[in-house]
Amino acid sequence: MSQPRFYDLNVHSRPDGNTEPEQMASMADHIGYSGIAITNHSSNKDAVVEVDMQDIKVFRGVELMASKASKLHGLVGMYRNKVDVLIVHGGNEDVNRAAVENPNVDVLAHPQTPKDGGINHVLARSASENNVAIEFNMDAIIKSRGGRRVQTLSHFRKNLELVRKYGVPMLLTSNAVSRFDMRAPREMIALASLFGMTRDEAIDALSKTPENIIYHNHSSAGPLCEGVEMIHEENLSKGEFL
Amino acid sequence: MKILPPTLRDTKRYLAFELVSVRPVARNDLIREIFSCASYLVGDMGSSQCGIRLLDFEGSRGVLRCLADSVELTRAILAILSSVEDEQAFVYVLGVSGTVKGATKKCLEHTGEVQAGISDTYI
Repeated sequence: MSQPRFYDLNVHSRPDGNTEPEQMASMADHIGYSGIAITNHSSNKDAVVEVDMQDIKVFRGVELMASKASKLHGLVGMYRNKVDVLIVHGGNEDVNRAAVENPNVDVLAHPQTPKDGGINHVLARSASENNVAIEFNMDAIIKSRGGRRVQTLSHFRKNLELVRKYGVPMLLTSNAVSRFDMRAPREMIALASLFGMTRDEAIDALSKTPENIIYHNHSSAGPLCEGVEMIHEENLSKGEFL
Repeated sequence: MKILPPTLRDTKRYLAFELVSVRPVARNDLIREIFSCASYLVGDMGSSQCGIRLLDFEGSRGVLRCLADSVELTRAILAILSSVEDEQAFVYVLGVSGTVKGATKKCLEHTGEVQAGISDTYI
């Protein structure tokens, strides 16, 4: 079996943090990622960053900040054709709902509200129908301590249960703002095990889900429909699929 | 006291790691931070099950010992570490081995590419 390629689809750079996108990308390359998406908040001017690196793929992304659900759909329309990865900044009940009901959204990021995980059975079902991935952002575990961390872990545990039940794609990200917020894929898998995610699920959340999002949106890759799988050229030459 | 025969000793794993930080970190500060992370995350009971021990730490590389059946938990503890002495830092596990020798080898294998990266892009 070939080694899976790992991707981190929620990474912030300047102007969200103080780190240049190139620094983020080279750190990600060093710790073993095949690609990252720079997803700065849409509240910044020039949120979409385009970087060309040799050793690692850097995808264009955006994290949409909407104060109200009604504003979200307009924002999605504005950015959809400019980015490879379209993320919605969750955390508000109405915004979460609007995000999972829009098939043009790729990922609902950190849906957890101060009260709960931010996902219920209705939202999970919509997310599954519209193929919107639910994010598990590891920075919430890394950066918090004590009661906050306990709460985050139990929200993640509940979200995982719902996501499993309805077959929603799950995505594991660092949501890094600085290059020290990144963690290597194996460490991400270990962190995910803290709230009950199995090893296989975590590997899919770092490789398969991101690949589906990227190749679904990449215009050069062409349309993919049910039953049609992307096969990487180098794997094909090795005769792996023959 | 007589030492335990090999079959009754705990099986251990050795983790080769790299600490990525802006400034060099002292060994004692790193030990304190790792144990503080362990006690926050898994408490006294969990820490005793992990049996973490820092064997070697020089520059930015080191070897850490843990019990064989708690490698994943140890990894999670190391991943939780986000700063040492108020300086941002993180641990990147280079490899896991059943012997110190193997872990040291994994440390050395990575040397070339890391230094090439560190010089211009990280700092």
